[in-house]
Amino acid sequence: MESTHRTRSRIRGVAMWLLLPRLKAPLIALIIAYSVSILGLVLIPGQEPGGGVYYLSFLDAFFVVSYTATTIGFGEIPHPFTAQQKMWMLFVMYSTVIAWLYAIGSVLSVISDPGFRRLRAYQRTVGRIQAHKQPFWIVCGYGGAGNQVIRFMDQSGIRSVMIESNQTRADTAKLSDMTYDLDVLVGDASLPQTLVDAGVQSALCRGVLALTDHNQTNLTIATNTRILAPRVLVHARSESDANTRNLRSFNTDVVIDPARVAARSLTQLIRKPRAFALYHELVDPDFNQIEILNVPDSGHWVVCAGDRLGDNITEAFLRAEIPFCLVSPEVSTIADSITWVQGLGTEANTLRQARITEAVGIVAGTNDDGDNLSILLTAQTENERLITVARRNKPTSEPVFRQGNFHYVLREGRIIAQEMYARITTPLLHQFIGQLEGMPEALVQGIIEKLNQRLGNQSPDLAHFDISLDAEDAPGVLPFLNTARGPKVADLLVDPGADHLNMPLICLLLVRFNGDLVPFPGEGLLLEENDRMLLWGAAGSHHRLHLLIRRADLFDSVLSSRRKTAG
Amino acid sequence: MNTQRVWFAFFTVLALTLNFGFFVGEIDNPAHHNLYEFFFALIVSLIATILKIGDRSHLGAVLLATSLVADLQLIAAAVIWGYGSQVTGHVSGNVMASIVSLAGGAMLANVTSVILLIAETIQLKR
Repeated sequence: MESTHRTRSRIRGVAMWLLLPRLKAPLIALIIAYSVSILGLVLIPGQEPGGGVYYLSFLDAFFVVSYTATTIGFGEIPHPFTAQQKMWMLFVMYSTVIAWLYAIGSVLSVISDPGFRRLRAYQRTVGRIQAHKQPFWIVCGYGGAGNQVIRFMDQSGIRSVMIESNQTRADTAKLSDMTYDLDVLVGDASLPQTLVDAGVQSALCRGVLALTDHNQTNLTIATNTRILAPRVLVHARSESDANTRNLRSFNTDVVIDPARVAARSLTQLIRKPRAFALYHELVDPDFNQIEILNVPDSGHWVVCAGDRLGDNITEAFLRAEIPFCLVSPEVSTIADSITWVQGLGTEANTLRQARITEAVGIVAGTNDDGDNLSILLTAQTENERLITVARRNKPTSEPVFRQGNFHYVLREGRIIAQEMYARITTPLLHQFIGQLEGMPEALVQGIIEKLNQRLGNQSPDLAHFDISLDAEDAPGVLPFLNTARGPKVADLLVDPGADHLNMPLICLLLVRFNGDLVPFPGEGLLLEENDRMLLWGAAGSHHRLHLLIRRADLFDSVLSSRRKTAG
Repeated sequence: MNTQRVWFAFFTVLALTLNFGFFVGEIDNPAHHNLYEFFFALIVSLIATILKIGDRSHLGAVLLATSLVADLQLIAAAVIWGYGSQVTGHVSGNVMASIVSLAGGAMLANVTSVILLIAETIQLKR
């Protein structure tokens, strides 16, 4: 096993040696044609103008053959050729020119060989990956999710390396608008060697995202990574429950099932619109505002969805006790206690059977974008006040869905990218989202109001970031911890400028060194060494906070002024 | 029997024998060193080099390297010979001595090649 691995990498190492054997025949033909021609010219006697006999030297013969073979043709030197020499020259011309063209042709065909060029491009990419100095993630599959997640990661300054088996998609990936040159390895991510070439065993590799369209490929990527690089994190996309269980069985760090996440998001949207708005702002770097959708508490939903999404929504709605009517072409496998109408939902008649006029909202979740748009347009003519949720399947349909003024659009790729992004950027964010799931709606409302109060009447773009109170990040705060001056959470959220105004920031989560979680800590909570905090507020305010926690003199003046006003 | 191996061994050994034939004789006496023998030694050495391309084993790499050394030495000798005879007009004893000593170096490389070839053959298990 060891030896096959080495042979393989050696072949990949020098593509030129792989192709030189193909040049053997033309090179030998060229040498033989040259040597026979030269020898003939040297042996055949020539005639000097005076009538004497002479023989061409090897230098002259080599010279004549060289310019004949390359079709330059300087003429007959050193003296006009005799009939005997001319006859030999005829042989020389045809044999050497043909041998020469054969050799040149072979070299050109080897260089322009598509396989050879792919191999060269692959090797150059591997070389660039090996030269990386920054930590990176390996993203397998440039689909809707892969495309989105590398952009999200780029916005947080995290680099990625892409593996894509489809040449056309790989070319698109290379053209994507990033702050760095994305390295795209064209290869099959389910092969272990491809992962190794992408740098999975490098000390800088942080994790692997298995985002291809095939469950089996994602599973293979996860198993291969577990064995090749056990310390590297694996996040995998899974589109069946069996596959999810399989992935979990060998401790895949994160398994994301888009249908399940979509069903959970919908439930959250209906039951806890504020938590949903907060979640949405935090996990999507493209979405920088809090927008709360007002969903009436009573009334039923019409869900048009057939495949796994339909099953997952049914399950989630039943658990959350949301009244709904399922519209699907086939009978649902989950329960017969639900109201069910057969059909796609594209016809007004079907929707009327599902009592569309009394419904609060509609979910158009079939796996065809045309059908989904048709469902929503039909539903809107039946009932104008409906809350509309659309599922967008193909990224190419995005313009219509963006223009459609739907209340919420489920985008599978984006859902996966958001979930992964939340886990990759900072572990604190993921911990907070875990807390958010169980948080009562009133508390979430409190968090949002608190931030709005600090923002005043402005509505800047929102962002989140984390800090740790350790010697590296916060040398300005450490000297005051555990002293009588007892710095509190509120003391950090202050502008270091002269007036010590409150900054447009709040603390969402504080994690103690021993792992205790304090979600939405009160402002009077005492800080301790090695606390880690997740902060949320106006984008850009982290610069001022970082300044404050680095400079002991600034923090000292903040503490003194606040004690004065308090006392 | 493998035809390719036959040609491979043939050219490797022929490169050595021709090279030796040219090398023997008084080092500075042009009458002892045949021009045509030298020409064939060079051509055969070049062909032997091409035949050695493509074997990616360790032994193959060393064989190719020795062959390249022989080519380099012989080409250097050819250049000196051509310069001596065409530019200065005649091949003096001094020039012949340097040609033959370069060819002698090439012969050492060819000897190494043949020894490696024999070693490899003896190691074969059938």
